[in-house]
Amino acid sequence: MSRAAPLLPREDAREAALFFVVCALCFLAAFSGLIARAAYAAAEAWTTEVAGEITIRVRGPEADTQRAVDIIALTKGITSARALTREESEELLKPWLGGAGVPASLSLPRLIAAGGAAGAGDAVAAALKKANINATVDDHETWSADARRVTGTIGLVALCAIALLGATGIAVIAFATHATMLARRDIVELLHLSGARDDFIAGLFERRFLMLGVKAGALGALLAFGTAAFILFAVRQTDEQAWLLPQLSLSLADGLVLGLSPLIAGAAAMFAANLTVKRSLSDMV
Amino acid sequence: MPDNDHSRDEPVLRLDRVGLSYGPKSDVLADVSLSLRPGSMTFLTGPSGAGKSTLLRLAYLALRPTAGRVSLFGVETNRLRRRDLAPLRRRIGVVFQEFRLLDHLSAYDNVALPLRITGRPEASYRKDVTDLLGWVGLGDRLDARPATLSGGEKQRVAIARAVVGKPDLLIADEPTGNVDEEMGERLYRLFRELNRRLKTTVLIATHDMALVRRAKNDVLRLAEGMVVRVPLDQREGQP
Repeated sequence: MSRAAPLLPREDAREAALFFVVCALCFLAAFSGLIARAAYAAAEAWTTEVAGEITIRVRGPEADTQRAVDIIALTKGITSARALTREESEELLKPWLGGAGVPASLSLPRLIAAGGAAGAGDAVAAALKKANINATVDDHETWSADARRVTGTIGLVALCAIALLGATGIAVIAFATHATMLARRDIVELLHLSGARDDFIAGLFERRFLMLGVKAGALGALLAFGTAAFILFAVRQTDEQAWLLPQLSLSLADGLVLGLSPLIAGAAAMFAANLTVKRSLSDMV
Repeated sequence: MPDNDHSRDEPVLRLDRVGLSYGPKSDVLADVSLSLRPGSMTFLTGPSGAGKSTLLRLAYLALRPTAGRVSLFGVETNRLRRRDLAPLRRRIGVVFQEFRLLDHLSAYDNVALPLRITGRPEASYRKDVTDLLGWVGLGDRLDARPATLSGGEKQRVAIARAVVGKPDLLIADEPTGNVDEEMGERLYRLFRELNRRLKTTVLIATHDMALVRRAKNDVLRLAEGMVVRVPLDQREGQP
C-alpha cells in the first residue's frame, strides 16, 4: 500500500468559496453560450424559411389576381405561384381578428405566394408593372436583414458576456491561487528550500486548481443545462411561441457548448495557478 | 547508509567577506568569512540577535548576500540562476529552528518529502525512510501527525528529514533549543554519528554553551556582524 499523501492539504473554506464563484461564472457563461447559439440558430432558421418566398398583394379588380398569377409564373427565376384562398387569408388574419371568422361582407387582401430564386422579387415587380397591375411585392429581404442584424447583435452581446465572464473567472482564480499560496507559503518555501524545482511546485497547484475548475465548470454547465431544459419544458407546457425560446433546443451543438465549459474553466484555473505560483516563487532566491 | 565521499579538500561551504544589509544603516552581517572543510563538525555560537540564523539562511540558499561571495561545494552561488540553485539545495539538509514539519503529513511523509520532490517512486525509498525513523527512535510513530508528537519527537523527525537524502552538508539552527538537556545530548550524539558514519559536514548554530564545551568540535563565534574562530581553551563564558 502506498503511504504517499498529497503534498498540499485538502481543500479548505477558501477553496469552497472559490468553487462556488467559478461554478456561478461557468453557469452564466454556459447559459450565455446557449443564448448566443440560440440567437444564431433563430436567425438562421427564420432567414432560411423566408428566403426565396415572395408575397404579392394585388389591388384593383378581382380578375387581376389570376392574370397576375399567370404573369408571375412566367417570370424568370420563379418556380411556383398560386393565389391564396379566402380560408388561407383568414388563417393569416386569425392572430389579429380571432378565430370567430371574418364576415363574408369584409373584403380580404388578395394575396399570391410565389417561390423562386433570391432577387426574383424585382423581376416580378417589373413584370406586374409592365402588365399594368396594381400590386405590392414583398420578398422579405428587409425583414430578413433586420432579423439577422438583431440576432447577430444578441449573439455578439452574449459572446462579449462570455469573454467578460471568462476574464473575470481567470482574475478570480488568480486572486484565489495567490491567497492559497500565501496561506501555504510554509509548504511552498519548504519545498523550495528542499530543492524542488519551480515546475514541481507549480504543478501541485496547477493540478489542484485544474480539478477545481473542471468540477466547478461541470456543475455550472449542468445547472445551465437544467435551467435551459426547464425553460424549454415550461414553454412547451404553455404552448406559447416565445421569440427565441423555441430555438433553445439542447442539441448536439448545445451539448458542445456545455461540454466546453468545464474544460475552459479547468484550463483557465490551471493557467492562472501556474502564472501566480511562478510569479510568487520568482520573489524567492 | 553509504558514506559521503569527500575526496577533494575543497571547502563544502565558504563565505568570503559576506555582508547582508536591509538598508544603508542596517547591516545584519558586516564582513563574514568562514570555511568548512569536508567532514567537519562545527558549532556556530553568538549572542541572540547576532545573525546566526541569517548566516545559516545564506548558507542554505534562502538568502543572497548583498556583499561578498558564498560558495557551496566549490560552486560560487552568487551568479547562479535561480533554477541552478535547486540541485545545490538538494545536497544540503536543513534542520530548521521551528522544525517546519507539515501538519497534514505523517512523520513518514514528512521525512520522505525531500525524496518525493526528486520524482523517485515511493517503493524505492520506503525502506530507507522507515529504517531512518527507526534509527531516530520513532519506528513506532510512522503514521503520527506532528500535532501528536512531543517537541523532541518533532525535532527527530526534522533531523530525519534533513538527512534522508544523504546530504553533503547538514545545517541545524538551534536544534537543542526546544528540548531538555537529556534530549539535547541525544540529538547531539545523533549529529555526531551522522558526521562520523556518513562523513557529512555539519554546521550547528546554538547558544547552548554547555553542549559546545562538552563536544570539543570546531567553534565559530558570530558577534557584531563578524565571525571569529574560538580556540578550545577560550570556550567558557557567554555565547
